[in-house]
Amino acid sequence: MDQFLQHLVNGTVLGATYALLGIGLTLIFGIMKVVNFAHGELYAFGAYVAYALVSLLQMDYFVALVLAAGLGLLLGAAIEFLLLRRCRLENIDEVMLIMIGVMIIMQNAELLAWGGVAKVVPTPFPQESIIVGGIYLSPTRLFVLGAAIVLLLAFYLVIERSRLGLAMRATFQDEDAARIVGVNVSRIYTLTFGLGSSLAAITGALLAPVFVVTPTMGDLASLKAFAIVILGGLGNIRGAALGGFALALIEEFGAAYISTAYRDAIGFLVILVVMIARPQGLFAAKERVG
Amino acid sequence: MLKLDDITVHYGATVAVDKVSLEVNEGEFVTLIGSNGAGKSSTLRAISGLEPVVSGTITFEGKPITNTRPQSIIEHGIAHCPEGRRVFSQLNVRENLEMGAYCRSDHAGIRDDLESMLGRFPRLRERIEQPAGTLSGGEQQMLAIARALMSRPRLVMFDEPSLGLAPNFVEQVFELTAEIRAGGTTVLMVEQNAYAALELCDRSYLLETGRVVLQGTAREMRDNPDIRKAYLGG
Ligand SMILES: Nc1ncnc2c1ncn2[C@@H]1O[C@H](COP(=O)(O)OP(=O)(O)O)[C@@H](O)[C@H]1O
Ligand SMILES: [Mg+2]
Repeated sequence: MDQFLQHLVNGTVLGATYALLGIGLTLIFGIMKVVNFAHGELYAFGAYVAYALVSLLQMDYFVALVLAAGLGLLLGAAIEFLLLRRCRLENIDEVMLIMIGVMIIMQNAELLAWGGVAKVVPTPFPQESIIVGGIYLSPTRLFVLGAAIVLLLAFYLVIERSRLGLAMRATFQDEDAARIVGVNVSRIYTLTFGLGSSLAAITGALLAPVFVVTPTMGDLASLKAFAIVILGGLGNIRGAALGGFALALIEEFGAAYISTAYRDAIGFLVILVVMIARPQGLFAAKERVG
Repeated sequence: MLKLDDITVHYGATVAVDKVSLEVNEGEFVTLIGSNGAGKSSTLRAISGLEPVVSGTITFEGKPITNTRPQSIIEHGIAHCPEGRRVFSQLNVRENLEMGAYCRSDHAGIRDDLESMLGRFPRLRERIEQPAGTLSGGEQQMLAIARALMSRPRLVMFDEPSLGLAPNFVEQVFELTAEIRAGGTTVLMVEQNAYAALELCDRSYLLETGRVVLQGTAREMRDNPDIRKAYLGG
């Protein structure tokens, strides 16, 4: 029973970060119809920002987190503004090629800048786990869970309660009508891409002290993010949040009770099954942002 | 108030609006009539900044607004109630109305206007928390009109507000447009139903394949033999 609870806790911590990653990707897809292959690279970018600031510049970890989110926002907005705004978003092939190009450039830039050796970001929290009822909780992971939940709630409030979120949802539903009532749709796109990227970057920075930082970490993050988004239904934000928790728990329990070696494979196997049996996603009543 | 001078709109090789000139004076009710594909909607979309104008000029209250972005057009005081209603189907009624006031920042004024809109459209008040997509066609049209009014326009453009509605709603919608004009807002309405349009308006323009082929006061248009034959059923 302790073992089961331990896996449940671990899966939940991981799930909260998967949810953040998935929401960023599904937001960009839902509003802009852009399949963002560079999403995982923004996650890696956030992790490297944490490495550069904390490990190299000895900066405070919490300040580094905020900066990672801010720089991710700027980088995402810049990608949209410089590359996507110039092409017609309807042309899916062109957009996909651009995003694959961005992915390759970012990944190689990381390799060039930091080398292929895995980097470690020190945690500001004590190393000893807290033991509650036989379950081991590392303070770092507890912080990751708390921060991820706060971010999920903040994001929910932005989308559901703010004027910007309302304009985003309106643009997603009817771009022309949104223009008619005075929404600057180009700006919504830039902000959407920036916000989605920022979520990926802060997730990378949050997890940097938990895992190690490598130039290829973005690949797996992208794959996972796509898996989560497919689980939740494309463009479905609530679905992506649930999909993130679902994938993490499947992985965790799969690793525990089936085989650790196939940890990632089990997750993707479930995705295949979902795509065959329920292509609209597990949690999709209808496609929507919000 | 609004003046179009020889404006042309293209869709690729298709010329949708071909050197159209028209004028709407302050306080007037002007209609644009003509059959399907004549270029009526394209004309309104060009005014709103949704389609680029290839040649010609548009001025509003003396200021040039040709090829201005839609968000500036609405800030100038021109609202557009588009063809096919185009409400935000997954936003609820309140959110749709709030989106209508998106260009405004006077929060108290927006709240008052929202309240008065709900007073005017009790059906919308009953469905305030419902997604707009669940409303009937007539209710959606009411919402689309209310949304356009939420920007406090000085000129409001309606594109076929009666299209696809049950007869009792058609009448209600036309009454509403007349009320809006009576309230001091200038109206430019596109309508395929020439009979109803000419009953309501002061002046009208007839469009055929992108050109203004006839214009005049409502009475002149109603008495015109060509119009009687082609658009008023004899
Ligand atoms: N988005 C579009 N792309 C290509 N052609 C269009 C488009 N919209 C309208 N048209 C064409 O432009 C012409 C005028 O259309 P429109 O302005 O919608 O006419 P109306 O509103 O009078 O029915 C028609 O020939 C129509 O087929
Ligand atoms: Mg039309």
